[in-house]
Amino acid sequence: MRTRPWLLLAPALILLGALLVWPLVRVFLFSLQDYGLREIVTGESNYIGFGNYAEIFANPMLWTVVLPNTIGFAVVAVSATVIFGTLVAMLMASLGTVWRTIVGSAIMVAWAMPAVTGTYVWIWIFDADQGLVNETLKSLGLMDESFNWFTNPFTFYAIVVLNIVHHGFPFVAITVLAGLLGVSKEMLEAAEMDGAGPIRRFFAIIFPTLKPVFSVVIILSTIWDFKVFAQIYLMPGGAGSNRDVLNLGVWSYVESFGQNRYGFGAAIAVLLTVLLLIITAIYVRTLFKEEKE
Amino acid sequence: MRRNFGPRTVVKGVVIAALLIFTLFPAYWMISSSFDARASSGGQSLLPQEFTWDNYIFVFNEGRFGVFLRNSFVVAFFTVLISGILALLASVAVARFRFKFRTSVLILVLTVQMVPLEALVIPLFVQVRDLHMLNSLLGLVVVYLAFSLPFAIWMLRGFVAAVPVELEEAAYLDGASWGRMFRSVMLPLVAPGLVATSIFSFIVAWNEFIFAMTLLGGASDTYTVAIGLKQFFGLHSNDWGPVMAASTIITIPVMIFFVIVQRRLSGGLVSGAVKG
Amino acid sequence: MKKRYLPIAMFAIGALGLTACSGGAADTAEGDTLNVWIMQGTNPDTEAFFDTVGDAFTEETGATLNVDFVQWADAHDRFVTAIAGGTTPDVAETGTTWTAEFADAGALAPIGDYVTEAGLDDDLVDGLVESGTYDGSLYGMPWYAGVRSIIYRTDVFDELGLAAPTNWQEIVDAATVIQAERPDLTPFPVAGDAEMLTYPWVWGAGGEVATLEGDEWVSGLDSAEARDGIGFYTGLATDHGFSTAGATTWKETDILDNFAQGTVAMAISGSWTPAALLEKAPDLEGKLGAIAIPGQTSGISPSVLGGSHLSMFNTSENKDLAWQFMQLMTTGDFAQQWADQTGYFPGTKSLLQTSMESADALVKPFAEQMVDGGGALPVTPKFGAVQAKKTTNAMIQSILSGQKTVDEATADAAAEMNDIMNGN
Repeated sequence: MRTRPWLLLAPALILLGALLVWPLVRVFLFSLQDYGLREIVTGESNYIGFGNYAEIFANPMLWTVVLPNTIGFAVVAVSATVIFGTLVAMLMASLGTVWRTIVGSAIMVAWAMPAVTGTYVWIWIFDADQGLVNETLKSLGLMDESFNWFTNPFTFYAIVVLNIVHHGFPFVAITVLAGLLGVSKEMLEAAEMDGAGPIRRFFAIIFPTLKPVFSVVIILSTIWDFKVFAQIYLMPGGAGSNRDVLNLGVWSYVESFGQNRYGFGAAIAVLLTVLLLIITAIYVRTLFKEEKE
Repeated sequence: MRRNFGPRTVVKGVVIAALLIFTLFPAYWMISSSFDARASSGGQSLLPQEFTWDNYIFVFNEGRFGVFLRNSFVVAFFTVLISGILALLASVAVARFRFKFRTSVLILVLTVQMVPLEALVIPLFVQVRDLHMLNSLLGLVVVYLAFSLPFAIWMLRGFVAAVPVELEEAAYLDGASWGRMFRSVMLPLVAPGLVATSIFSFIVAWNEFIFAMTLLGGASDTYTVAIGLKQFFGLHSNDWGPVMAASTIITIPVMIFFVIVQRRLSGGLVSGAVKG
Repeated sequence: MKKRYLPIAMFAIGALGLTACSGGAADTAEGDTLNVWIMQGTNPDTEAFFDTVGDAFTEETGATLNVDFVQWADAHDRFVTAIAGGTTPDVAETGTTWTAEFADAGALAPIGDYVTEAGLDDDLVDGLVESGTYDGSLYGMPWYAGVRSIIYRTDVFDELGLAAPTNWQEIVDAATVIQAERPDLTPFPVAGDAEMLTYPWVWGAGGEVATLEGDEWVSGLDSAEARDGIGFYTGLATDHGFSTAGATTWKETDILDNFAQGTVAMAISGSWTPAALLEKAPDLEGKLGAIAIPGQTSGISPSVLGGSHLSMFNTSENKDLAWQFMQLMTTGDFAQQWADQTGYFPGTKSLLQTSMESADALVKPFAEQMVDGGGALPVTPKFGAVQAKKTTNAMIQSILSGQKTVDEATADAAAEMNDIMNGN
């Protein structure tokens, strides 16, 4: 019986192992080297110990702009996506089959649209000179001169949050919906008959049952929002010319891969992975501790 | 309960309408531009300035989207199928059996999602080359499996854990083998989770660009739609009309896939299955 | 129970199909096939063109030509992974900014000897030779080039009775008139995310971008002359209001898009844009004109040559064959044909001469800029790092958005440039 779980796990683990273990090790090895294009050509190593890591921590831009932007954005984006997605899931759970399919297909469109295309559409909507938003504001008399939404970091990130939430809430909605439809209806009806209001019902019954689902959704959303790259890189000024809006994804690209400094980029990748592992581990431990009770 | 069209229904209707507008507005823009002959100047207008099918024709002919669609379908199909099977097996192991390293395995499996892709590109490229899977859709499927498995395992774990052990034991008591029990009892209850993970795997395989381009290299007959979309972004100018047309073409199959599988979303506990 | 076997059968068949789908890896066969990478999108008829080239090549050498068309988006990644994985081609089209980078890494083979043997030493366009030379050796064979000058709306100028400007003051004068008479147009947008459009003003005022003094690079952006030029350029927006709020974050592609919409009167743009413009907006036919970027008081302000080289990889086993291909492409009929089809200029002076004598009003000014006003940026991967970090872009953008004054921004940019170029 002891071997049964490992047998079941074997196919998945073999796949992940054969494909990823060695590359991940190599990423770590790269991070300890001054690894550039020249080293790629010759195939020679060039170890510098923890030099890359030291350089990362010593960079003031990391602490004053990049990390605050990244963490602040992640907190706002994850909260917005998860809350909005959950609300949509609850709405969908209360609908009949026909309307549920209609709403479901509609939100799938938001998820399925290529991220690149979606980003450009939002850029056009907020275009300073001819975008819909500015045109509307000007015709309503709320704006005199065209305002460039992309130069100010707060408005810049507001647009990014809009983009990310729009693209990411369907994932939360569908996943939570799948979980919601598995919640025991009897328990809910019993609670309603006992006089519990919707909010009470949510926190007392739905939320605890759905905890595993929420944990997946929150962890993955956090991981993705920490790594956001294209949606910021493609925005006007987001590719490095506006230093105030740099986030971890863009900053690491500009400093490392954009300059062919693969060792440096690997070091940033390792640090980010470790950071995310810590966050995940904390969350998972909390989740499992409560399950054991 | 459709007796009254009271304020509740009206509010719900308004909420649904607002949701649909928010969700679909960017998509509307995309579709509208795709039919616009003047889209290439990146113009701003709610309706196409000059309606045309040309962008779509261009995308299919010069853009070779017919081939790309076929390749993407193949890759997505196998990714969804195999990741579903592997993840189901793995999640049963993790949910049903308590063994050492269980938590660690779970967390490690998630590591795949954490590592920034650009850092992985070169090592993974070398690895895939060593496994002789370059320039082939097979190599791509394997990589996409690796990316969709973590979420699938995590998701299904919760669903498997939620199936009461009593139900399983009842099936065994009735004389069912493990396989039979799995198909008749567990599968229907896990179905909603399976649906969610299938959609996720499908989208991963469908929209992923970096590894597709890296691993397929010069074998342009094997390109997926994600690569095909990028061809309209030139060095000095972007072809907005074809970009939007290609994007619309890319979006549609995912919707269709959802419509097909969403019927299974409402599996859930069958009432009366638990006695007492 | 039939249902159980069907999926398995499908799976087996499908799996076979998957492996059959694999294309062959690019092997370099001995003396028989030449593998070449060409960028997609430069020439609308690129495949037909290379079919013809392939035939001619086989006739001349007996070997077959195998061309891979690479998309510009992430082409750089493909090069790097190919180098890392040992799947590089024999010859590849390398953008002028990449040739030095790959040469520095040791990936390219020097072709100086081949050029001398073929007697082409004096016939190659200077700007392209400069960007293709690294550490004293030539690595990139000049293939085609473009340059940035000023394009403008001839119909607007005619309507308002304006003559094309010949110096900086006249630019301001013309723009002032346009601003007053045609408020629906943007007289001269100043793009905040377009590095190449900044340098003509630095050079035109007599400044330098960066110079090598001994072993150290010194940035010239904070010199009085450079500040003069940059101040003038950004002043068009901040002082005169000839630009728009949106232009603060524009890239070159945005200038093109807006020009196509008909809202721009004058802009700096590449020689490749008139063709793209007319395709996007056919009603601009006959309304476009071009002039070389005027000098501060007279003459021409230098502008950067963009374009591509053909480079030979060190890993090639058929270097002589590779050179024959490169020569076929960059000289003679095929070079002229390519130039005609793409709207770029050929890389040899003899062929460029024909363009200079062209009567086409949209070709001559660019040719003039190329020959008389070609500028060059430091040819070193260290400057590539400066470009990746968008030092110049950030400088202009911070001035345009009002965050820094010209003096502050140039000081910061110069410091950063010195740091990057002399640091790592």
